[in-house]
Amino acid sequence: MTRELNEKENEVFLLLKGVIDPELMVNIIDLGLVYDVSIGEIDKSIIITMTLTSPGCPMGDAIKEDVQQLILKNYEGYSVNINLVWEPPWTLANITEAGNIALNGH
Amino acid sequence: MDQLASKNAPTPWLIIPHFIFGGISLLVVTVLITFLPDALTQHYFNPHLLAITHLLVLGCISMVIFGALYQLIPVIMETKLFNEKLAFLSFFLFALGIILLVISFWNFWLAESIYIAASSIILAVLFFVVNVSFTANASTKKSIEKRFIFTSTVWLLFTVIIGTLLAINLTHTFIPVSHLQLLTIHAHSGFVGWFILLIIGVSSRLLPMFMVSHNLTVSKLTKAYYLINLGLIAVIISLYFSITYGVYVSGGAVVIGLFFYLSFLFEAYKKRIKKSLDIGMKQTAASFIIMIIPIALIQLISISSNLFDNINIPSVIVYGSTLLFGFVSSLILGQTYKTLPFIIWLKVYKNKIGKQKIPFPKDLYSETIAKIQFVSFTLGIMMLILGIMLQQNFVISIAGIVMFIAVLLYNINMLKIIFHQPIKPQND
Repeated sequence: MTRELNEKENEVFLLLKGVIDPELMVNIIDLGLVYDVSIGEIDKSIIITMTLTSPGCPMGDAIKEDVQQLILKNYEGYSVNINLVWEPPWTLANITEAGNIALNGH
Repeated sequence: MDQLASKNAPTPWLIIPHFIFGGISLLVVTVLITFLPDALTQHYFNPHLLAITHLLVLGCISMVIFGALYQLIPVIMETKLFNEKLAFLSFFLFALGIILLVISFWNFWLAESIYIAASSIILAVLFFVVNVSFTANASTKKSIEKRFIFTSTVWLLFTVIIGTLLAINLTHTFIPVSHLQLLTIHAHSGFVGWFILLIIGVSSRLLPMFMVSHNLTVSKLTKAYYLINLGLIAVIISLYFSITYGVYVSGGAVVIGLFFYLSFLFEAYKKRIKKSLDIGMKQTAASFIIMIIPIALIQLISISSNLFDNINIPSVIVYGSTLLFGFVSSLILGQTYKTLPFIIWLKVYKNKIGKQKIPFPKDLYSETIAKIQFVSFTLGIMMLILGIMLQQNFVISIAGIVMFIAVLLYNINMLKIIFHQPIKPQND
């Protein structure tokens, strides 16, 4: 995470634990794919800054779509914008302890 | 960059027929082995083995590769396929050409029918090469994987042209070398130039992606590219001019190149974050272990016999069988579980993602069937090798039955994936 999230942004962040990477079978938060969540209360917008485990990941569209739909379902009246970035590149260090346990059991 | 692979994916109706044709061809191959085991215990230049080999390498392996590549090119080159209509045309010409070629070999019709078949195949391959070349050109991404894939398609074209010249040469001799030398050139440009280079190109991108391995030494692939290509060109020249030491030295360069590639894969395996391998990746890993057998065997064959005179026939057939069944076919069966479920899953659920509970791509097939298929196919290959080495037709027939069961299970799983029906949304 690049900055401290406020309470509502943190809520959205935790909601994204519901999006599972279909290849790795681990949620995108524990994989460390989400870099930032930003909510604009004036224009009712939610911006998710995230990455994928590798560029050209075949599941990229599916993951993006899942993120978008999950937020739209839970935050009516808000628009969702997903900002896919490759810098900083995703590394193994991004994976949380829970993510490591889900991946390898330890 | 926000160019995602699934946005560039072609229609699944282009890919599905390739997989179905491939699955049926492999099933027919196992039936032929079961009922005509002596095709594998005679000299390898016999009509039945020529028919079986071409049904396997073109009807199954190349056909599935064509289909898979149309899906994988957007992933690897991060661009759309140049022309889908051309790909459909290529499929029909390829399928018709293969059927006619296999019937012609079976009956040893070496005249018009084989020329028509070969022309149809050459045209199909040409369309395929054009499609890949233009797609590669449109892609701004420069990578060693892209270079491997493009070069492999050029080798495929060379292979089918040499095969056609060989067929013409059988009835109207005009090439001043033996048919067996030409056959060896034809086979190795196909085995190494087409299959191995393509497998390296695709796998060096996909396998690290599936295992989530980062920070790999890509320079190993560059070394592999030059050693294998230059080695193969030198092997072909040496074979044509019967230069025994040339074959040894240049063949050695190819083998060293292969070890650079295997070292890259092993590094990816060691650095993977997903420690447990699913069934598709287990079969893939097994195929790479089996690959060591033909590499070792070709060294033994080269050392223990005069390459151009008294070559040991059963060991050559074991070499070809381990390479084609043990390595390439096993790899294709394994990778089907990594590509086809995703293709169908995307077709069925792309408009339902996030809106309702949907299964994962791995839920589209039976893992139990896949596991039994993996074990029985591997067992079948081992029995086949044993049967050829012992020159026992009975053992080869049993191997054929075991492999038939494996391929039948593979086809059942494949059809289960292809005809997957979307689950109905549940009321909350």
